[in-house]
Amino acid sequence: MPDEVDRLLSRTLEALKGATTPQALEAVRLRALGRRGDLAAMLRRLPSLSGTERASLGARLNTVQATLRAAFESRFAELAASEEVDRLAAERLDVSLPGRRGPLGRRHVLRRTLDEVERIFVGLGFEVVEGTEVETDEFNFERLNMPREHPARDTQDTFYLGDDLLLRTHATVVDVRVMMGRTPPMRILTSGRCYRRDPVDATHMPVFHQVDGFMVGEAITFADLKGVLATFAREMFGPHARTRFQPGYFPFTEPSAELAVSFEGRWLELGGCGMFHPRVLEMAGIDPERYTAFAFGLGVDRPAMVRHGIPDIRLLWENDLRLLEQF
Amino acid sequence: MRAPLSWLREYVELPASVDALVECLPMLGIGVEGVERVGDDLVLDLEIASNRPDLLSMVGIARELAAWAGGEARLPADTLREDDPPAASTASVEIADASLCPRYLAYVITGITAGPSPSSIASRLEAAGIRCVNSVVDATNYAMLELGQPLHAFDLDLLEGRRIVVRPALPGEHLETLDGVGRTLDPEMLVIADARRPVALAGIMGGAATEIGPKTRAVLLEAASFAPSSVRRTSRRLGLRTEASARFERGVDPDGVARAARRAAGLIADLAGGKVHRGALDAYPAPVPRPAIRLRLRRLARVLGTEIPEDEVTAILGRLGLEVRREEDSVFAAPPIGRRDLEREEDLIEEVARHHGYDRIPEAMPCEVLQQGRRPAALEAEAAARDALVRAGLTEAITLSLGGPGAMDRLGVAQDDPWRRAVPVSNPLTSDHTHLRSALLPGLLEAVRVNAAQRQEAIHLFEIGRIFRCDGGAVAERRALAIAMRGTWLSGFWEGARDLREVTLLHLRGVLETLAGELRVGSLAVVAGGPAWMHPARCGRVLVEGVEVGVLGELHPRAAVRLDLPGRTHVCEIDLEGLLGRAVLQPSFARMPKYPAVVRDLALVAPLDLPQAQVQAALVEAGGALLEAVELFDAYSGPPLAPGTRNLAYTLTFRAADRTLTGEEVEALMQAISAALAARLPVTIRA
Repeated sequence: MPDEVDRLLSRTLEALKGATTPQALEAVRLRALGRRGDLAAMLRRLPSLSGTERASLGARLNTVQATLRAAFESRFAELAASEEVDRLAAERLDVSLPGRRGPLGRRHVLRRTLDEVERIFVGLGFEVVEGTEVETDEFNFERLNMPREHPARDTQDTFYLGDDLLLRTHATVVDVRVMMGRTPPMRILTSGRCYRRDPVDATHMPVFHQVDGFMVGEAITFADLKGVLATFAREMFGPHARTRFQPGYFPFTEPSAELAVSFEGRWLELGGCGMFHPRVLEMAGIDPERYTAFAFGLGVDRPAMVRHGIPDIRLLWENDLRLLEQF
Repeated sequence: MRAPLSWLREYVELPASVDALVECLPMLGIGVEGVERVGDDLVLDLEIASNRPDLLSMVGIARELAAWAGGEARLPADTLREDDPPAASTASVEIADASLCPRYLAYVITGITAGPSPSSIASRLEAAGIRCVNSVVDATNYAMLELGQPLHAFDLDLLEGRRIVVRPALPGEHLETLDGVGRTLDPEMLVIADARRPVALAGIMGGAATEIGPKTRAVLLEAASFAPSSVRRTSRRLGLRTEASARFERGVDPDGVARAARRAAGLIADLAGGKVHRGALDAYPAPVPRPAIRLRLRRLARVLGTEIPEDEVTAILGRLGLEVRREEDSVFAAPPIGRRDLEREEDLIEEVARHHGYDRIPEAMPCEVLQQGRRPAALEAEAAARDALVRAGLTEAITLSLGGPGAMDRLGVAQDDPWRRAVPVSNPLTSDHTHLRSALLPGLLEAVRVNAAQRQEAIHLFEIGRIFRCDGGAVAERRALAIAMRGTWLSGFWEGARDLREVTLLHLRGVLETLAGELRVGSLAVVAGGPAWMHPARCGRVLVEGVEVGVLGELHPRAAVRLDLPGRTHVCEIDLEGLLGRAVLQPSFARMPKYPAVVRDLALVAPLDLPQAQVQAALVEAGGALLEAVELFDAYSGPPLAPGTRNLAYTLTFRAADRTLTGEEVEALMQAISAALAARLPVTIRA
C-alpha cells in the first residue's frame, strides 16, 4: 500500500497541474481529498492493518493529505488570479475614444469684465449700488449741470421715452440719486447699461456698459482721484500699466480729465473723471465748501474688446457661441 | 476746428517740431484729430470742448500755446481808419429783447467793390475749410477764424429803411437763407429784421435778399452776441448748423464784439476798398459785468491735493490773459475777453491745474471714508443666480435692450399679452429699435437663431437683465431671466439612444429646480398651461411657493418655423425681482442624521392625465413627519398596462430623528400611505 500512496500523490499532483479552471481543479480535489475520495478510502482501510504498519502508514497519509491541501490551495489561487486577468482583459476600453461631456456654462465676456472691474473697486472700499436705466431729464442732465439747450448734450444724443423720461446716457445719474439720499462721507460704485443714439458700427452700439464711481468727503482731492484710478488700472491691466490724465470737459466736474491707460504699447481711453462741480454738490444738498468729491465714469465694452482682441463691438452682442466659448 | 500752422504762427512761436505740438495740445485739453498737409502748409484738425468758444479761433489757440510755453500771444494789429460822415447818420440798430441779444454792433462801410480776395487770404480760408465767396464775405470769415466772433455783412442799400431790428420772428414770417432754402419762421426764433421783414436768422445764417454781390456798394457789418440757448434751439429746429451757430451756441462774449468788428471793418476796407463811417452803431443796453473771481490758495491745494506756489498761480493766470491781483491768502483774477466760461473759483482751479500740468499732480490714496467694500443683497443674489445657471451648464448671453414689435409678432405673442406693453422710444434711431424690451426671450431667441444658423448642435443660453413695461403712465423696470435650450445636452454619447442625449423640457425644468434650490427660495412647481406660442401639450406656468413667476415650455412648432428654428426649442421666462429679494445666500448648517433610514418602494397605476405632482404631493402628505424623501424612479406606460394608464414607482425614505425605526413601524406607515392614496386619487397600488 505504500506504493499506492505514492501513486496517489504523484497522480493527483499531475492532475492538479492539468486542471485549468477552478471547476476542473475542484473535481480533482474531490477525487483525491473528498469524503469519498482516494485518500479517505485509504484511511478507511487503516484499521485492518497491523499495529506498526498502521502507525507508519497513518503518519504517511497525514503528510500526503497536508501536502495535497497546500498544493490545491496554491493552485486555486493561481487559477483565480489568471481568471481575473482574463476577465479584466475582456473589459478592455479604447481609451483613445473621445470623452463624454456634460455642458459647461460660462459667463459672457462683458459680464466677466464688469465683474472684474467691480471686484477691484470693492477691494478699494467702494460700496456698490444699483440704479435704473429709465431716468428723468432732470437727474440725467439738469442736476448734473446740463440744463436744456446745453451744448454738451450734443455728445450725449439721447433716447427719450416722453417729455421728461429718457434712457440714461451715463451711469453718473446714479451718483446724483445716491448723494441726495445720504450724508457724506460716501464711496460708491455703480455699473450697468447706458444708451446713446449712436448708429451701429464697428465701435458704436446704442446700448453700452459703464462703471461709475465717486467719493465725497472733507479731504477728497484730485490727487486721490489719480491715485484710485491708477491703482485700478494697475489691478486691471497689470502692475506696469501707466495712466494718463488729460484735461477734458464735462459740465458736472471741474477740473475734468480724460483717463487713458497704456496697454500693449498704445493708449486705451477708459473714460472721464474729475472733481464734482460745486453746483452739482449744491443741487444734491451737499455743502461744497465743507465737502469735496471726485467722480469717474469708465467704459467697459471697449476695454473688454481691446484686452481680448475682439475687433468689432457687434460681436459682443451677437452671442455667437464660437465667441462666448472662448472666454 | 481746422487750424493752419502758418496762420497760428502769426500770433505765437510754435514748437520746432509738429510732433511736439501734437503732443502738447492734448495736455491743454485740446484734442488733435489729425494733421493734414495742404500745399506747403500743415493743418491741424482740432477737437474743441463745448465750453471753450474762444478756442474756435487762431488767437484763442495761440493764447493757450503761448501760456503753456511761458509767454503771451500777439494780437492782430488794429488797422481801422474811420471817416466822416458818422455811421449814425446813415443807419440805425435796435434790440427788441436784450435777453436774447445782449449786444448788437454795426459798422457802415460805403464805396466798396466786392471782388475776389487775394490769394494770401483765400488760401488760409480754404485750408481752414471755409469756402471763399468775395472779399467782403471773406473778410468777415477771416476775422471770425482769427478772433472767434462770427460776423455778417448786409448789403446796406437792400436793407429797408437802412434799419436793423433784432426781434423774435412773427408767426408765419418767411426768410430765404443764403443756402437758397425758403424757411417758415415762428416766434421762438430770433431774427435780424430791417424795417419790414426778416433779413437773417440771428446767429445762424444771413438772408439771400440782402446778400453781398458784385453790385454791392455799401455794407452794414454786424457783430453781435446772442443768447446761446436761443441760437441752439433755432439751429436744431431748422436742422441748420453753421460756423456761426457753433460759436454762438457755446456763448460769444459781448465784450469781444467791438474788437472783432473793428478788425473785420479794417479788413473789408483793405480788401474791397471803401470807407468806414465814423463810430460804430452799438446797442449794448446792459453791459455784462466782468468781475474778478476770488481764488483761495488754500482751496486750490484742497481740491488738487498738491501745493502750487502763489507765484506760479499768478503767472499762469496772467499768461492766460486774466487781470490778477493778490490779496492776503487769495488771488483775484478778472477773465479776459472771450473767456466767459470762467465764472467761479473752480474754473480758475482748473485753469491753474491745466497749465501746471495734470501729470505733475501726485497720486495719493484717500485716507478718509475708510469702509469695507460691499454689494447690495439684490446684486449678490443676482450673481448667485447667474453662478447657479452657469454651473447648471448654461452660457450667458447679453442682448440689446432695444427692439421692436416684430420679434413679438414672429414669436406669435397675443395682442393683449402683457409682453405687448412695451415702452416706445419717442425718437428711435432705426426701425428695428423702436421699443424697450418688455421680455428677454424674443432677444434671446434671436441669439439662438444666430447659433442654429451656424449649425451649433448644443445651444443652451440664458440672460438675466432688465425688462420694461408701460404701467399706467409710468415705466416698470424689472429684473428677469430667460432660458432657451435646444439640441444635444451631453456630447460623446454616440452609442446611446438619441433621446437620451437630446435636451428636453424636463432638463430646463431641472435647471429651474437647481436655481430655486441654490437661492433657497422654496419649492418649485409647474402647472400645465401656457401662452399660445408654446406647444399646447408641453408648457406650464412656473410657481415658486405657490406664486406664479413665469412660464416654461416648448416653442409651438409654428412659432419655431417663423423663428427659423426647426426641431424642438425649450424656453422659459421668469420674473426674478421677487425671487432675488427672498434668496438666502448664507444658509445655516443642517446636521447629518444620526439614525439610519429605512427605504421602501411603492408602485401604483394611475391615469395618464393625472399629473405626477399630485401623486407625489399625496404621498408626502400621507407620509407625515417620518417620511423624509419621496423620489420618482419610474414612469411607464404601454403594454401590459391598460391604455390611458401608467405605472409610477417611488422610493420612499423613512427616518426618525431620535431612534432607529422598526420594520413594523415602517410597514404600518406604508399601509397607511397606500390606503390614503387609494382613497384620495384614482390609483391602484401595486403589490
